[in-house]
Formats: sequence, structure tokens, C-alpha cells
Amino acid sequence: MKQIVVISGKGGTGKTTLTSSFAYLAKNRDIADCDVEAPNLNLILDNTPMKRELYIGGKIAYIDKEKCIECGKCKSVCRFDAVKDNFQINDIKCEGCGACVEVCPNEAIKLIDDETGDVIISSIEGGKFSYAQLRIGADGAGKVVTKVRQSLMEDENKPELIIIDGSPGIGCVVISSLTGCNMAVVVTEPTQSGLEDLMRVLNLVDYFRMKAYVVVNKFDINLEKTKEIEDFCSKNNFEVVGKIPFDPYVNKAIKESKPVVQFDESIAGREIKRIWNIINEKIKEV
Amino acid sequence: MKVCFSSEGRNLDSQLDPRFGRCKYFVIVDTKTNDIKVVENEGLVSEHGAGVSAANLVVDEGVDVVVTRNIGPNSMKILTNAKITIYEGKADTINSNLELLKQDKLNEIKEPRKAHSGLQNRWGR
Repeated sequence: MKQIVVISGKGGTGKTTLTSSFAYLAKNRDIADCDVEAPNLNLILDNTPMKRELYIGGKIAYIDKEKCIECGKCKSVCRFDAVKDNFQINDIKCEGCGACVEVCPNEAIKLIDDETGDVIISSIEGGKFSYAQLRIGADGAGKVVTKVRQSLMEDENKPELIIIDGSPGIGCVVISSLTGCNMAVVVTEPTQSGLEDLMRVLNLVDYFRMKAYVVVNKFDINLEKTKEIEDFCSKNNFEVVGKIPFDPYVNKAIKESKPVVQFDESIAGREIKRIWNIINEKIKEV
Repeated sequence: MKVCFSSEGRNLDSQLDPRFGRCKYFVIVDTKTNDIKVVENEGLVSEHGAGVSAANLVVDEGVDVVVTRNIGPNSMKILTNAKITIYEGKADTINSNLELLKQDKLNEIKEPRKAHSGLQNRWGR
């Protein structure tokens, strides 16, 4: 089984546009939406939820009203100001550090499981699709990314290929979606922040000794910057496998909740098809 | 020499866990005495910073060598500073990886080249 992760460094460069098209073009594959803080692949992929599993992120304090003597010690040690005036815990502020549990003279406080969200496995045409739905205010973290990825592995029908839609940045969730993958497809755009964030994320990819291929999206809106990106990549031995032109069909596709490759007239769609053919060959070699 | 493996199970026949930060167990083998110690990885359950808690745990165990398959920047920084050598294991059991290590057949994982042009001094501030 092989795994491809689509990441970008900078947000909004076209990860999901690319992933949804790859999902449509690939065969015998499962898809994981690991952009857990803002999942949206489920809107584009035609999917039927099959299984929903509760995700416990961490711990959260709970005060037993019966035992509480309202001494206020918990309040005085809480760094997050999470104990309300009526001696109840503010769920959103509580970080589950447990300082209040330590100081409570009457053992009225305990840490309970924090139900952070759900991990959902759906069936899609030709495979499975997993994603997470976190509660409002909940924190996306590497742990939930791990769950989303594992949920596909635990199944008896192991796919030949998993395509992972990653999240922007270089933080915890990105690290967790990178580790163990065979290849990274890095999408960027011809802007200064597109270039800077590309550099940072490629630096991270290096830690995992993983092959990375770069795609420049909307390359024709700033040819000068595109050239700069290409120069940076060639200097550092990263291959630019495709340059997607700006195309109003991408917007139309998003509005209709379809992958852009479904529109034959789309020039962006045609380039994505070409990119997929290259990636599909390269993944066989790694 | 104390060798620490990221492991999916609790003994030498278990598979090497491909992830360092979020592996299930650490199996620590003392090659002199052949003593085996199994430690549950606290990193697995931490929401954030799995690599950091996993690496701290391994350092506290006083190991000399780590064998795993994927290791991120945060763990690597901690292990490298603690003078622990990291080797890239194979997708096989702990036992066979231990044999390969003894025969000097595993590759060392080092910090990646730092010199992306324009990126010097940014990572690892």
C-alpha cells in the first residue's frame, strides 16, 4: 500500500481542488481528509457515511456539585480562567491540565474524557473516504489526523493507494499527515507568501526523507513569481511536475461540488489530468 | 549499548512501528545483558507535541540508539541534542531489525541538509 499526501505550506492554494480531482482520476484508492480543522472534501466527494466513531481528544475538568465546598482554590490556580463564578467549568477554556484536581481539598474535581468530535468513514465510488468532524471550538491535532488515517488501515479491504488531503502550515497536524507517506505533492501559488511557505514546508518534508513534487497553481497570474518558484525548486532539486493555469471553471466546479476534471472544457482540469498521470507513474517507482 | 525500537507490540517478535512520535510502545534492548524493557509511549495519546513527549521519554530511559522509520523535526532535535544516534529500520520485526543493527546494515538518519537557499537560520531558531 502506498500513500500520497497533498500539502501546501500556504493555505488556499488548491489542495482540495487537486485532491478531489486525483480522487476522481485514481483507481483502487481510499481518500483521507486530514485537514481536520477545516474539512471540505466531503462536500465535493459523493459519499455515504457508514461508520461514525467518537473521538476523544483529551481530558477536561469536571466539578462534582455535591462535593464542592466552593473554597475557590481551583479558581486561584487555573491559568486558563476556566472556573466560572458558579464553580462550573468553562469547557472551551479548560485545557485539561489537572491543576484544579491537585489542589481540591475535597476531591470534588476529576478529569473526564473530552468528546472532541467524530471520525467518519464513508463509502465512495471505488473505495472509502475518512474525515473528522470536530465540535465547535475544538482543537484539531495530530492525534485526530492519526485516527483519520488509521480508520482506513483498520478495514479488511486495504486499498492499494491512500490519497491524503493535508492541511496548510508546517505544524502538528501537517507532521502527522506526512509521516509514513511515500510521496508529497506540494501545491503553491505564484505569490510571495506562496513561495515562502513552500520553502518552509519543503524543509519539513526533508525530515521525512520523502519525495516531494511541486505544482504551481494559477501560474499565469504572476509569471515572474512562477519563475522564481521554478528557480528555487531547480536549485534545490525539487521537480515542478505541473503548472495549472487560472481557469474560471475551477470556481464553477466548486459551486457545483464537483472535481474540476469532470469538465472536459476546463484547461485547469486538463493540466491536472496530466499531473495525475505523472504522479501515478512516479508513485509506482517509490 | 541500549537500543530503543518504536514498536507495535510488547516483544521482540512485534513489528517495528513506522512512526516514532505516535508509536504504540518502545521496546528497549540492552545489547550487553539482553535485558528487555517495554515502555508505553505517552506520545500516542497526547493531542499535540507527540514527538516531543516521545523523545523526552526515550531520553529519560538513557538509550544510546533509536531505531524507527519516520521521525519529525521536534523529536530529532531532542534526540540529537541528547547524543542519541538514530537509525532507519526496515518494515519487519524488532528482532530482525536488531540483527541488522548488529551487522551494521541500517542507515543512520541525520538532520536533513539545512541549506535551502534563502532558508538559512529560519528553521531551528
